[in-house]
Amino acid sequence: MRLFFLLLSFILPAYGADELHLYNWNNYIAPETVDRFESYCKCKVIQDYYSDNEELLAKLAAGARGYDILVPTGNALASLVKQGALLPLDKSKIPNLKNINPAYLNTPFDPGNRYSVPYAYTTTLIGYNVEKMKELGLPTDTWAVIFDPKYLVKVKGRVTVLDSQRELMAAALKYLGYSVNDIDEKHWYQAMHVILRAKPYWAAFNSSSYIKELTVGNIWLVQGYSNDMFQARNDARAAKRKFTIGFSLPREGAVLALDNMVIHKDAPRPDLALKFINFMLDGKNSSELTNMIGSGNPNLAAMKYINPEIASNPAIFPGKEELKKLEMLKDLDMEERRVLNRLWIKIKIE
Amino acid sequence: MNRDKWLISGPPLFYLVVFFVIPTLIMVIASFRYAGEYGGLAPVLLHDANGTHLNLTLESYQEYFSDFIYTRLFIKTLVYALITTFFCLVFAYPLALMIARSEKKRRDLLVLLVILPFWSNFLIRIYAWMIILGPQSAFTVALNGFLGLFGMNPVRLLFTPFAVVVCLIYVQLPFMVLPLYANLEKHDPALLDAAQDLGANGWQRFWRVTFPLSLPGIYAGVALVFVPVLGIFAVPDILGGTKGIMIGNLIKQEFLEARDWPFGSALSIILTLGAMAIVGGAALFARRRDV
Repeated sequence: MRLFFLLLSFILPAYGADELHLYNWNNYIAPETVDRFESYCKCKVIQDYYSDNEELLAKLAAGARGYDILVPTGNALASLVKQGALLPLDKSKIPNLKNINPAYLNTPFDPGNRYSVPYAYTTTLIGYNVEKMKELGLPTDTWAVIFDPKYLVKVKGRVTVLDSQRELMAAALKYLGYSVNDIDEKHWYQAMHVILRAKPYWAAFNSSSYIKELTVGNIWLVQGYSNDMFQARNDARAAKRKFTIGFSLPREGAVLALDNMVIHKDAPRPDLALKFINFMLDGKNSSELTNMIGSGNPNLAAMKYINPEIASNPAIFPGKEELKKLEMLKDLDMEERRVLNRLWIKIKIE
Repeated sequence: MNRDKWLISGPPLFYLVVFFVIPTLIMVIASFRYAGEYGGLAPVLLHDANGTHLNLTLESYQEYFSDFIYTRLFIKTLVYALITTFFCLVFAYPLALMIARSEKKRRDLLVLLVILPFWSNFLIRIYAWMIILGPQSAFTVALNGFLGLFGMNPVRLLFTPFAVVVCLIYVQLPFMVLPLYANLEKHDPALLDAAQDLGANGWQRFWRVTFPLSLPGIYAGVALVFVPVLGIFAVPDILGGTKGIMIGNLIKQEFLEARDWPFGSALSIILTLGAMAIVGGAALFARRRDV
């Protein structure tokens, strides 16, 4: 692989020139921000995308190189730190770090933020068709509506949950009153039974197309990410649907996923990467992503640029009380992953 | 002469060795290794006080046989593949026969129509099925209206095993039509005339002449449809709902979510061996019958 990139560097004279290679989530930076950074640093931003952390980790584990900036979520960040895959940040080049809300700094994934700075976050919550939920008299502030057959009978075949071992398990654990990072096998089994009891009422495990299904009105209730719900609501509005899409944090608590900018240790251009990080921590630049996709923003200087409708939504910007109930997923070790994986197969096949 | 033969067959042979044999060997070795803590693989050689030794294990295969759930998924996948193959054959045979017996100048156009779907992306075609089978689609609404006439409850089509199998058949159908057509087109029409002169009726002409001659085409089509279906994961991922998963999904999940490459490799190898056993067994059975 390294040889491949070496060869590439001969073929493409532009390689190693003024280019920043950004390996980011799909749709996770505003185009105008990229344009402005390009004219500011007189360089080109080359983007590549992934759709989940596993894809990012698997690609790096298989030897992919040439990226300057990666944007992993907390647990993937911890894994990259432990593997020694990241470059320590020269904080003197990142004065804008002062803009970040201290509540999002110094996480267990990277104590002291040696390698990472927060970029944006999402929560995993409940999205729903407001009119249908009212009509059926269903609550929208509890995981019970996703897991309890008493409620589910009314929406049979109209519910989807995430096709993700960790996220679905986390929701079931929260519903049972445990931590999302509980690794007690007994609690996992309890959670599995909760899931199996609810499964006959669900239409699908769906992480990819639930935005569309909600917007079209096929599905009325989903477990999903806050920024996706935001998009579903806007899409339904734009399509002038007769219903509206709402989303709210369950009172039992939920998963908060904090995405962080890091520099890969083999980054061809760490200098540009540092420039980029500082640029993205500027209030205005940071606000553009939030206004575009409705992601949470840890940047205090960005708040004044953020659309008030977004800034006042507690599902996107949780207050102090809500924040206490949100947890970030920790990485599991190999043995735990095997156990969880086997439970997941049971969940999928039963 | 011998050198020319190597010149021509060398490059494809080289290509196959590099891109098929070597990756397969890597997979075989990986299935006996330990998983790395952060995904990937643990080192093959372990250095400790007693010197250097091999760090290999049967763990992944033991895991497979420790719980019947994996075999159950394997069997379910086989059933899906068999159903798909059966319907592909039933749908493709008349179609291929029709094309083979149509006017010569029209045949190329008809074959082109069969392969036309390949011009658009595989995933886009699967997403199109999401729309066709969705609860508000004209097809679903019409079907449920029809069922309602007989007082039956409306059915859900999307996110069911039915959706998976329908889409699998759709995706694989051309792979059955093409080898069948290639075979049927070569049949000598004089044979049918001779059969007719000897008093065979239409059914006998088909069953005693056309069908036996088309067996090689059927074998090729069955293999082309059956084997790829065993490993497919995109269709059940997108259309399968809560019940549609197949062994391909599990293998993908091992490599990505579980980050357990050895177990993923072991599953792939068990799948490959299983597929080879079935295809080999079928070929053996067919040969014995032919003799």
